This record gives sequence, structure tokens and C-alpha cells, in this order.
Amino acid sequence: MVEQSVSLPFRYAVGGAGVFFDELRDHGRLLGSCCGRCRRVACPARAFCVACGEATPATVDVGPAGTLLSWTSLASADYGLVALDGADGALVHRLLGPRDRWRSGLRVHAQLGAHRVGSILDIAGFRAEQP
Amino acid sequence: MELCWRYSSGAAMERFCLGLRERRIEALRCDRCGRRQLPPRPMCGDCRARMSSWVRVADQGALVAWTIVHVPAMDGRTGRPRGVPYAMGLVRLDGADTTLNHFLRMPEATQPPLALGARVRAVWRADRRGAIDDIVHFEVMP
Amino acid sequence: MRSVAVIGTGQTMHASRRDDVSQPELVREAAAAALLDAELAPRDVDAVLLSNMELFEGRAFPELWVGEGAFGAGKPCLKVATGGTSGTSAGIAAFHQVASGMFDVVLVVGFEKHSEGHTQTGMALTDPLWDRSVASGAVGNFALSISEYMAERGVSERQAAMVAVKARKNAANNPHAHLKNARVSIEDVLASRMLAHPVRLLDMCPQSDGACAIVVASGDVAKRRCARPAWVRAAVTRHDRPYLGDLDRRLATMRTLRDAAHTAYRQAAIGDPLRDLDVAEIYEPVSYAELAWYEALGLCQDGEAGRLIEEGVTSMQGALPVNPSGGVLSTNPVGASGVIRIAEAALQIHGRAGARQVADARTALATGYGVYAWADVVVLAGAP
Repeated sequence: MVEQSVSLPFRYAVGGAGVFFDELRDHGRLLGSCCGRCRRVACPARAFCVACGEATPATVDVGPAGTLLSWTSLASADYGLVALDGADGALVHRLLGPRDRWRSGLRVHAQLGAHRVGSILDIAGFRAEQP
Repeated sequence: MELCWRYSSGAAMERFCLGLRERRIEALRCDRCGRRQLPPRPMCGDCRARMSSWVRVADQGALVAWTIVHVPAMDGRTGRPRGVPYAMGLVRLDGADTTLNHFLRMPEATQPPLALGARVRAVWRADRRGAIDDIVHFEVMP
Repeated sequence: MRSVAVIGTGQTMHASRRDDVSQPELVREAAAAALLDAELAPRDVDAVLLSNMELFEGRAFPELWVGEGAFGAGKPCLKVATGGTSGTSAGIAAFHQVASGMFDVVLVVGFEKHSEGHTQTGMALTDPLWDRSVASGAVGNFALSISEYMAERGVSERQAAMVAVKARKNAANNPHAHLKNARVSIEDVLASRMLAHPVRLLDMCPQSDGACAIVVASGDVAKRRCARPAWVRAAVTRHDRPYLGDLDRRLATMRTLRDAAHTAYRQAAIGDPLRDLDVAEIYEPVSYAELAWYEALGLCQDGEAGRLIEEGVTSMQGALPVNPSGGVLSTNPVGASGVIRIAEAALQIHGRAGARQVADARTALATGYGVYAWADVVVLAGAP
């Protein structure tokens, strides 16, 4: 057996998604992109429509609440697919709180971190909305 | 990104690598074309025939090509960049038909420059573990 | 098999850094430009092929993330990653897809964003049991073969410098090129920093961020849609053994390129390439490579490559202009570089190569090269 270990550095340009990360960091708001042609709203916002390929969609506020579509539990954490209010598709993220509450259709709300840097992890996770 | 791998070498390379620990170099010879190939591998690429004839190869031979590199490259064994400048060569070891690309001892200012056809020999590591870099580099023979 | 043509091309402005776009956006720039050039919509594309060296950007399976930038959602979308030949091999795969009759229009997008990775990721393409411990990177490994080639064929550092000067000057006519310098001289090249003997900084290709796309179509679509299609007359791929040491006198023999060219010329009814070709876009990562490729491609006898460059045979004014675009020496996003060769050859046939147009180009050569001896040869022509 031959064993090797290397450390490789990478730096990725966020491009059109920069507006999403900036808004999340600076104002704690979630931005989606709305396609001018097919009206599909994608969150996180991005530079072109994933459905029809049209460029430079407009940005719109989405969430911060949404509906839990599906979820799973790992030893380390719970994860869910969240359909954010105002957006098509779903966002994969962590679920916070007691495990026994998770069910499809549950209303959830984004919990933001106190110290945000412009990362998807500025959202700490999604918590069940109080009844 | 931190990446860690562990690779199984296969039977041919395993025999070759274990030999290196004993300062023994072996190639596999294709029984169809007669080509003695380093590194050893189970098939001859040209003949598409299985190879099983092991032949002994000397740890010295002729320098077929050389370069001196000034651009840092990562050493796959250590995961750290190699100091520059360093010399590389293509060596046709006595008893092999392929050439071996390996490091060359950097020529000192007082020594003659690297010359094609020069006789070179392997300089072995004291602490060998069964890997191609058990040979530290090749040096020009006096 | 039915006829195939390249009917549209698009490429980004290649640069050392494209920090303004993410990888999918970079791909989309080239893909959208190619579709515009072909006057087609995304829905007209039947399949997408991507060309990219995954680990260079530290992201496996690039078509997963980047595919939608090439309008690949909902379609067959595959990737080719074969080193330097990725782009030409992806182009050839598209030719096969269309020639088979199963697809009418295939979009090929090659890209690389070297600025997002690190040159050291290239070590991952060496085999872990042998080469990885003794590899000296792209420059070193290529340079290692040159001393042997020079001794055998008599080419000089000065002749290699002439190749570099030609490339930089040609690139000045190409708005997409990364490196361009109309005023560089042979002395500038010979005075530039040594990278790995005998390759100097100005002898060497850059690492670029960029993307290039081509639209490949069936004969019926091409005749309906394109005023001057670039018809595929030959497309040949040859690969060889995995270790540098397996390839005796590698640059002097380059048996893969020789064999691929020989077969391609036969397919395209080319008797004397110097006479029958009007323009060539060949994949030259290093100035010395272009000299070796002249011989392997049969543009001259073995040992005559130096004479060819000295006499200006391959300059823009010569009998066979080689690399009017500036070549890989001027622009090198690895995954895109092979597609750029095909695109530039197609532009010549289309008559839309602008300031780098070779007059009346009717037959064009495009080649790919990858470690250590992988080769593609494509012939495009103005008639099917």
C-alpha cells in the first residue's frame, strides 16, 4: 500500500451569487433570483435561470420562513429540504431543535448566526415555528 | 482541501517495490516483443500480452535526456514543494529497454555539465521502505 | 455515416483571472456566444459535452454544477477529461454523436479556471505508485524530453524562440487571447527567466481562465442553418503508454501524432499537408513542441523543423500559417485549449476570423496534445 496526504488550496469566485452572500451578511435577508422569462425563483440567487437559461434575473426577497418538505437524521445532525416562501425548488440545510418535531409540511424559520461572514453557514439552520 | 489516499500497488509493483528495499531493480519482459519494461506492469501495452518474465536490471546506466528545473513542484511523497533548482534525467538502466525518469544529483560548478550518454548510477537511501524514491537520485559516474 | 459540421463558435476573453464569474457563469458566456453564432436556441441542442480537468479546480464531476451553464439541464450531459486533449477529444466525441444519427445538434464547451486552483493539483494526474514521487510538473516533465530531441534533430534555442515570437505576435490579432505582444523579440525570449532547461518563461504557455464552445451539427442542419459550414473531413485519436520512460525519443517519434495525422490525411484525401492545408491550429504547450509537431505532422522531413520556422513557412505570410490565434502559447485554459483549436480552425473556414483570417482558407488542421503522448487530429474543410 502506498499512502499519501496533500493539502491543496483553492479559491472560488462566487460570481453572480455574490449579491446573495452580501445581503445575507450585511442585512440578514435571503435573496432569490426571479427569471424575467419563465418567472422561476431560485434561492440562493444566481446569475442565470437554471430552468430556461435566461441571463441576469432580478433579485427578490424570499423566506425567511418556509415549509419542510423532507428531512433526515445523521448521528451528527439533522438535515432538511426547505421550500422557502416565495422561492421555487428547495434549500438543503441543517435543522435545529428537538428531533421528534420533524415532519413533512412543518413550518420552519431560518435562524441566522450572530457573526456573519457571507457564507451559506451564516444561516445556522432552520427551526420549527412556534405553534 | 486536505486529501489523503492509500493505493494498493498490485502484484507486479509490489514485487518491484519490495526489491527496491533490497536495492534490487527488476523489470518485466514481454515474451512477444522482448521489451524489458520499467515500471513493471501486468500487460505489454504494444502487444497486449500478459507479462510474467522477470529480469534483473542494474542500478546504473546511460543518461538519455536531462533538464534542470527552476519551477517548484510538489513532492508527492512529502506533500511539500521541492526545493529549486533540481535536476531530472531519463536514464536507460543496463538491462531495461524503457527509460526511467528520476532526479539527478545537481552538477557542481567544477564538474563537467550533464552530457547525454554519460554513465550514471543510483544513490540509494539508507532508510529504504520499498518505493521508487528509495533511490534519492542518480549521480554521474567518475 | 452521415456528414458533420461545426456551425458556430464562441469563446470568452481569456485572462489570468476571471474573478467576476463563477465556473457555471464562465461556461455560460462561451455557450451562449456559440449558440448566438449558430443562430440556435438552447432548446435546439440535443446533447452537451463538457471538457475540463476536474481536479485542477478541486471539484469532481464538474458537469453536475457547471452543466446548467451549458444549457445541459434535461439533456444528456457528459464530460471528457483527457489532459490537454480534453477539448479536441470532446469535439471528436461530439462528431461521433452527430455522425451516428442519434443527435442532430451537440454543444461542446471546454473550460478551465486555473486561478481558482493551484498548479500543484496537476500532481494528481501522475500515477501514485511511481510518477508522483519523481514527477517535476508540467514544465519539467516536458523539458526533460527536449535535450534528447535537440541532440537528435539539431533544433536550437533560437529557433524555438522564433516560434514563441510568432505566437505572441499572432495573438495581438486575436481579441480573445490571454498573452499578446506584437513587439516581443527573439532576444527577449532568450533573456527571459529559465523555467526548466531549456524552456524559458517566454517559451512556455500561460495558465488561463477561459471557456470555448462549438456547435456541432448534422449535414442537414448545417446546410439549412449555416452559410459556410466547417465540414469535418477527418477526426482521429491516438493514445499511448502511461510512463514517460515508455516513449523512446518521445518528441522525435511522437508516434501517436504521426499515426493520427497519417490516418487523418488519408481520410481527408490530403496528399502533401504543406500544400493541401491552408491553415493549422496545433496544440503547442511549449515552443519546442511546435518544432517537433512540424515533423510529426509531415509538414517537413525529420530534421527540417528549424528550417521551416527560419524561412517563415509557418508565419502569417507563409505557405502554411500555423496558429494564427496565437496558439496554446498565448492562451491556455487547459480544458478549453483543445476546443479553441477546433473553433479557430472552424472560424478560418467560416471566413470570420477577423484580423487573424488566412485568405481563402478552405482546409484547416486542428490538433490536440496531452501528457505524455496523447494526440488528436481533426481536418475541417469548406466542402463536405
